[in-house]
Amino acid sequence: MPLSFLTPLFLAGLAALAIPIWIHLTDRERRDVTAFPSLMFLQRVPHQTVRRQRIRHWLLFLLRSGAVVLLVLAFARPLLDRSGAGGAFAGGREVVILLDRSFSMGYADRWERAVSAAGRLIDEVGERDLASVVAFADRAEALAQSTADPIRLRAALDGARPQDGPTRYAPALQVAAQILSDSKLPRHEVVLISDFQRAGWNPDEAVQLPSGAWLTAIDVAEGTAPNLSVSDVSVDSRGSASAQQLLVTARVVNTGPDARRNVEVKLSVEGQQLAAQSTDLDPNSAATVHFPVVQFPRRLALATVTAGEDPLAGDNTFQFVIAPHRAVRILLLEHAAARSTETIYLRRALNIGSDPGFDVVTKPIAQLATRDLTGRPGVILNDVPYPGGAAGRRLLEYVTEGGRLLVIMGRRATPGSWNSTGGIVTGTVAEPVDRLRDRGGSFVVVAYDHPVFEPFKAPRSGNFSTARFFRYRGYTPDDSSQVLARFDDGRPALTESAVGEGRVLVLTTGLDNVWNDLSIQPVFLPFVHQVARHVSGYGAPRMWVTAGQVLDLRDQIGDPATGSEPPREVVIETPSGDRILREFTDEEGQYLQVRERGFYRIRPVDDRTAVLTTIAVNMDPAESDLTAMDPDELVGAVSAGTAEGDEVQAAVVLAPDERERRQGLWWYLVVATLLILVTESILSNRVRPLRGRPLTSERP
Amino acid sequence: MRGSRFLDPRVLARIDNLELLARTVVDGFISGLHRSPYLGFSIDFAEHRAYMPGDDIRWIDWRVFGRTDRFYVKQFEADTNANFSVILDVSRSMHYGSGEVTKLDYARYLAACLAYFSRRQRDRIGIVTFDRDVVDHIPPSAKHLDLVLHTLDNLEPGGEGLLEQPLLKIAESLGRRGILVLISDLYEEPDRILQAVSRLRHRGNDVMVFHVLDPAELEFPFDGATHFEDLETGERIPVVPEDLKERYRHLLAQHIRTLARLLGEHRIDYTQLDTSKPLDYALFDYLSRRQRLSRVR
Repeated sequence: MPLSFLTPLFLAGLAALAIPIWIHLTDRERRDVTAFPSLMFLQRVPHQTVRRQRIRHWLLFLLRSGAVVLLVLAFARPLLDRSGAGGAFAGGREVVILLDRSFSMGYADRWERAVSAAGRLIDEVGERDLASVVAFADRAEALAQSTADPIRLRAALDGARPQDGPTRYAPALQVAAQILSDSKLPRHEVVLISDFQRAGWNPDEAVQLPSGAWLTAIDVAEGTAPNLSVSDVSVDSRGSASAQQLLVTARVVNTGPDARRNVEVKLSVEGQQLAAQSTDLDPNSAATVHFPVVQFPRRLALATVTAGEDPLAGDNTFQFVIAPHRAVRILLLEHAAARSTETIYLRRALNIGSDPGFDVVTKPIAQLATRDLTGRPGVILNDVPYPGGAAGRRLLEYVTEGGRLLVIMGRRATPGSWNSTGGIVTGTVAEPVDRLRDRGGSFVVVAYDHPVFEPFKAPRSGNFSTARFFRYRGYTPDDSSQVLARFDDGRPALTESAVGEGRVLVLTTGLDNVWNDLSIQPVFLPFVHQVARHVSGYGAPRMWVTAGQVLDLRDQIGDPATGSEPPREVVIETPSGDRILREFTDEEGQYLQVRERGFYRIRPVDDRTAVLTTIAVNMDPAESDLTAMDPDELVGAVSAGTAEGDEVQAAVVLAPDERERRQGLWWYLVVATLLILVTESILSNRVRPLRGRPLTSERP
Repeated sequence: MRGSRFLDPRVLARIDNLELLARTVVDGFISGLHRSPYLGFSIDFAEHRAYMPGDDIRWIDWRVFGRTDRFYVKQFEADTNANFSVILDVSRSMHYGSGEVTKLDYARYLAACLAYFSRRQRDRIGIVTFDRDVVDHIPPSAKHLDLVLHTLDNLEPGGEGLLEQPLLKIAESLGRRGILVLISDLYEEPDRILQAVSRLRHRGNDVMVFHVLDPAELEFPFDGATHFEDLETGERIPVVPEDLKERYRHLLAQHIRTLARLLGEHRIDYTQLDTSKPLDYALFDYLSRRQRLSRVR
């Protein structure tokens, strides 16, 4: 149990031992100098030397020296090393060094301390030992595996850098377990060097080390780690086709015990600061910052929100992309004989939409041509009989190839036509149900988690119960269909079924304000917009993604609204400047895992200036919460469950300052110093009780 | 308030005006004493006596002759008209005091009182201050009381003190014989002191030596190991006072005895003064000395 010191430089204070020595030998007398008119007679008397005085006050000297020594030791902050792992083992060791390189390790000097600790472990690797260096964030990577070559181990360690990924302990422990299980050496050791971020450990993850293994945790965090981060940004854009007004709101989080005052939060677009706000943050709290409305051209732009400064600067800046919304392209098919009063509600509703707007093409269903379906990811059949014939085949083909269809069944949607669609409508359509006698039925949503009804999930966000449905089609969906809403008598109101690669939604009542009064209810407009977005497969452009996510590049580059195909090859420029060539010839090339914070720029191979799209990548907000867990908790979880008598040996090596803080030896030293000083005072007064005021003469 | 209180150095230390101090002390001291027995020609009439042949006819009191038809001459209280000089040691060692009054303060009061007293005797008074050399020199004069008191009032402790050189200079500068009062702590070897002081007697001066010492110098009441620093040289030595107290007292007493003996042998009055004691002791000593001088004269 060797003793070490957290601040050994303070040991230089032991030189202060000279003070009591000096006091006892010389200064005590010098300080009490007595002025005397003349030493003429004193010099004739053989005077006593100070040596005798020192001997006489030997106990006082020891007490004073002891007080100085203890005080210096207290300032040097001693700590005991109680770890039992590590060191030489005669039979050879298999040592796995798990080095946390997650984003949070970039805080202050954690990474340097972690590398230093790993370096010391490598230095301890003997000739008969094998060691591995496994760096991990959200996934683990063996940088050097089972080698006794210190050069390789050092090279692996030197090559490791903190990443922008979140902390996940389970993958690293699994890699360690795999290495140990393959080892034939008698002693197995795992050393986990980390800041032990609580967010990185899920107690439900069942990770077990091989029995008999030693697990040592080295905590490089140093007490509390205040951190400021921007966890979320929302952008509300309004305006014309050429210019837009951006209303940006940012959420700033303070994960620390201290309040932060006047934190400056800045909004920059395309490198230009457009707005700045200051906010106050209480300890462990979040604040929402609303920037004033800023004008910006309606085009794709890279934007950032930056808040304050702290030792972990990476999460103080939040990147996002401002992209103009694409119009939802809808083909609206109506009956040739439909009067305008029948279709006006649906048409007006689709014309009102903005962000996204709706690009609606209306045609009589009898005139449906193949080209009409091209570039139209969504088709609405507004109360029409199934066309049959070539038009019917085109619709079926359209759906089975991935198209989406909304069938609104009003009085013109006769059961005879819709029960013979060849698979577009998978259920059975029946005659209308008349609810006039009981003053109409009501509409009950049964699948609020469905994208159509998701916006209405929260209370007071849309009330369907005010609408009265006097007539609706009887409809019996097949088992593969999902009923999204029903009438109050249990009959389906809205269903969705998969047909081939496409989807078909069936609304069993019209939207012409005849069979029901839904079209004059407040909920009608958002309902229609939501259904239209779902039918067209519209997805709001993502302003950012989280580091570590896997993206489908086809979705990022291709335009599902227009049906345009992405190029076969693209170049991805990462935030760090690396260029990655991707070919979409197979699925592997189609997906990209973003690992770095910043902006990923995707461009064609043959054009350096063109930009197909830009992806903003931010840290997982959970990684910004630097709250540490007790290493004992993790060690205990990994050690648990092994057979009795052959369990995992666990030891926690805390960061020196944390260890020193827990041991608190300095406190005992200070108390001992005070006791010694009190004793010294009492003893000093007893030893020299008659020492009077020295007779001195005032000097002019 | 009795006059003797004004002789207490601790009381005198509270009086800023040195002339007032001297007047208070001297008047208080001499009140109750008999008048001067030394009669002579002075402005203060004393008595008449019968004219003797040889007497100056200017002193015949013609009014008495008119009443009695006999010649009587006036006799006046003596006016000595002697030179009185205070030779005051202002070396740094004199700036020592274990109580409220330093040796220099005590010497200052003493010198002021003697000057005032002498002035009442119609003496011409002067003062010389010195450390290792002469610092101030006010030659004796009947009009120099204020100057002497002013000099005493503005005394500053000097540096290291020596007797030989300044006293030689003083002896050479003295014009006519007079009374010289040396006030010093005499931290020199007795032989050297005697040699220096003897020079003052060369022209027939009457020399009185007041050896001023602080009670702490006499008793050495220190305890606890400490360093003693020489006020004049700054030299320090470690001292355990308890161990050398007796030896120190013995050496000092021997020094005082030697001085008294040597100076007495050379007809130099020596008086050792304790700054904690009232001034009347010194004044009595001075007065008795003057009395003896008058008899001799």
